[in-house]
Amino acid sequence: MGDHLGKLLALVPLGGFIYYTTLIPSVAQGGSIRASIPWADGLGIPLSFFVDGLSLLFLLIISGIGTFIVWYAAGYLHGSRTLGKFYLYLLSFMAAMLGVVASDNLIVLFIFWELTSITSFLLIGYYHEDPASRRSALQAVLVTGAGGLAILAGFILLGFGAGTFEISGLLAIGGASIAALPEFPTILVLILLGAFTKSAQFPFHFWLPNAMAAPAPVSAFLHSATMVKAGIFLLARLHPCLSDHAMWPSIVAPVGAITMVTGVFLGLRETDLKKILAYTTLAVLGTLTMLLGIGTEMAIKACIVYLLAHALYKAALFMTAGTVDHETGTRELGDLSGLRRVMPFTAAGAIMGALSMAGIPLLIGFVSKEYFYKALLDADGPPYLWEALGVGASMVMVALAVTAGIRPYFGALKKTPKHAHEGPWTMWIGPVILGALALVMGVFPALAGDHLVSAAAAAVVADPTYHANLKLWHGWNTALMLSILTLAVGVGIYLIAARWRSAMASSYRVLAAIGPEQIYFKILDGVLVFAAWQTGVLQNGRLRNYILTVGGFAVVLLVWVLPRNRFTLDMDGMAPISILPVFVCVLIMLSAIFACFARSRFTAILLLGVVGLGVAMLFFLFSAPDLAMTQILVETLTVVLFVLAFYKLPSLREFSSRGIRARDAVLSAVFGVVMTLLVLVAFHFESNDVPISEFMARESLPTAYGRNVVNVILVDFRALDTLGEITVLAIAALGIVAMLKLRPKRNQKPTP
Amino acid sequence: MKTLILNTTNRFIIGLLLVFSVFLLIRGHNLPGGGFCGGLVAAAAFALQALAYGVPSARQLLIIDPRTIIGIGLIVAFVSGLWGNLFGLPFLTGIWEKTPLPVIGKLGTPFVFDVGVYIVVLGVVSMIVFVLADDQDENSSEGGAPWN
Repeated sequence: MGDHLGKLLALVPLGGFIYYTTLIPSVAQGGSIRASIPWADGLGIPLSFFVDGLSLLFLLIISGIGTFIVWYAAGYLHGSRTLGKFYLYLLSFMAAMLGVVASDNLIVLFIFWELTSITSFLLIGYYHEDPASRRSALQAVLVTGAGGLAILAGFILLGFGAGTFEISGLLAIGGASIAALPEFPTILVLILLGAFTKSAQFPFHFWLPNAMAAPAPVSAFLHSATMVKAGIFLLARLHPCLSDHAMWPSIVAPVGAITMVTGVFLGLRETDLKKILAYTTLAVLGTLTMLLGIGTEMAIKACIVYLLAHALYKAALFMTAGTVDHETGTRELGDLSGLRRVMPFTAAGAIMGALSMAGIPLLIGFVSKEYFYKALLDADGPPYLWEALGVGASMVMVALAVTAGIRPYFGALKKTPKHAHEGPWTMWIGPVILGALALVMGVFPALAGDHLVSAAAAAVVADPTYHANLKLWHGWNTALMLSILTLAVGVGIYLIAARWRSAMASSYRVLAAIGPEQIYFKILDGVLVFAAWQTGVLQNGRLRNYILTVGGFAVVLLVWVLPRNRFTLDMDGMAPISILPVFVCVLIMLSAIFACFARSRFTAILLLGVVGLGVAMLFFLFSAPDLAMTQILVETLTVVLFVLAFYKLPSLREFSSRGIRARDAVLSAVFGVVMTLLVLVAFHFESNDVPISEFMARESLPTAYGRNVVNVILVDFRALDTLGEITVLAIAALGIVAMLKLRPKRNQKPTP
Repeated sequence: MKTLILNTTNRFIIGLLLVFSVFLLIRGHNLPGGGFCGGLVAAAAFALQALAYGVPSARQLLIIDPRTIIGIGLIVAFVSGLWGNLFGLPFLTGIWEKTPLPVIGKLGTPFVFDVGVYIVVLGVVSMIVFVLADDQDENSSEGGAPWN
């Protein structure tokens, strides 16, 4: 059943993919599609979408690879009890991701952005019985969630600064005037924080390798093609708006370069197939960021081609790594070899992927590396720095490609925990087709260039006439020489990788001990300690202390605020004081005072009942029958509840010292006086608008057809508040029942 | 709690209270009353039953479990708000049937919303009462409050 469900569900992304394909002709001509639906009108946020070349490339990657992933998951999670849940998460994630890349409104983009964080949390933590998996999921959502908050702040500043929240509008305004905004540095830093956390840039990179605790389809989808590219997408999307300021290249390019170097350096350490791929993903994300930071036309073109090539080969490699794990029971390099004999299709997909990753001619990976090198050679900046870093990182990438994508399939077949065999077709069809695509696009780069890359790059450089002419062969130039050198040195690094690992083991340990992940743990521990402390202080379970906190806080605030506003204590215009209310008030006060000194709980409750009924009486006297009636009902039910709880409460005892009671008495008196003052001040509060109460009273009958204003407010004017309140009421009731029902039985003796 | 007076009067009072609660609910739009008051009165009726004949009997009288009642109430209130969306109006827009019905009067989504409030309040209060009363039965059968 689960299998067939998966095969069927793949039609969803497949349908999307086919639809997006039909958009290619018009978008490749430089057109764009916009759609807008009214949504949160009160806030001026329409649900608006905007598809141009850049969005379309991402839409195609997400839906295309998504199709294979859904198929793949059917095989990989075959027989899992919670497969339905998995597909729910996966397709929700896919929808959120499509939303991110197609949004026109910044706020809408942010909402989809956060949805990808939440759904990826559920996906990474899919094996939730495993504590490591839960920890990784939490880490991913905390890091990217913190970045999400930064991005919201950045978007709000950007939207108000530029005067529009529509991305198409921002693009029309142009980078020069946005860079001139006084708050531009803050905007840039906040948005970059969001993009860097999402795309796992240094120093936030640590969550990505840990997220490999997820099932293979998740790693293949989220951590190769889609989610981690959301940050890259955002940088590319806003490149025309934000890159006109000198801060852009001076932050983005170095961060990308550091991430790239970190990725390959840490990748060399690993012997776990998936971890190696994770670190190379990190390196590629760094490369893409660096290219966007450099920002020349050549760099943008290289970035787009590289992104496309990476999506194809990395998804294939992750899927095949998952298949190997699934069918042999291990991902350790040392245990795997000769698998091509038993898993021919998987091997074919993996080897194509690895060749593309290494940049072997005739594959799209080669083309992308050529443009990458060209962009580095063209780039401004310190001489030879970019080139050295880029070429060096690529050399290690070659070694890692051979390690992860070729080595397990050659040599003699070893014995593995499970008897190795080929996976079902659903698991190898994706890698094989993606590998074939890498070859087709490599041989005919103009195919991708004319239809996808040109329009995408045009959107990033903000020049609709830009055309990326992709070619396989550029003649014997410097880039080609560097490519050949890269391959040769890369194979060399592969050969010494094992020795490197053992020689560097101790330095990797030192790095791990001082790395940014440790800072993350420190912060997390700090937050927990703080939470425990403040819960102990504020939420200590004693009702008296809660009242003390609330009352004291209100007093402090009011005493601080009231003298700062001119206010008059003016008794004019108030109703004359008649004898009956005075009598009721005296009754209330006396009851309250006696309640404080009551010796038995029963007396205290009775006296409080008098207070409540007295208040109800006051409501009656001042013509608020609704309130009076509700008050009486509440009082009645309170008595009923109290009678029921009566037996369970301990007898009244004096817990507090004389000093504490004196403090409470003073606070109560001050609270009463301040509240009285507040009411008197509020009576004379002057506002230029019609008071809201008058509006409600006037509109109640004609527009809401009700003469009872209180009720009309509750169920019509302020119905949303009421809906919230009854929801809270329901939750509170569940909480009360849970507390009463689930507490340990007191007269149960602990078993010895 | 077995008292002859409570047991006898209870039979008459419960019916009255329930009718009164519906009366309060219906008149609420124009006169004092409404879903909240009505719900409280209805809950009081069931609390009375629980006091007189014990919780199981009150649960039986209520037929549906209070938790389900709360859920139904929330759904009724929410769905009444969605009605406006069908006509392209914002969530919770009040829509009224202009011709008055007998007894109830004009019918509109705010009234349906109020019915939802009534049901939620009834469910919440009776749930709390039942749980407290249940506990009390346990304790009294074991010989009074454990703390004393």
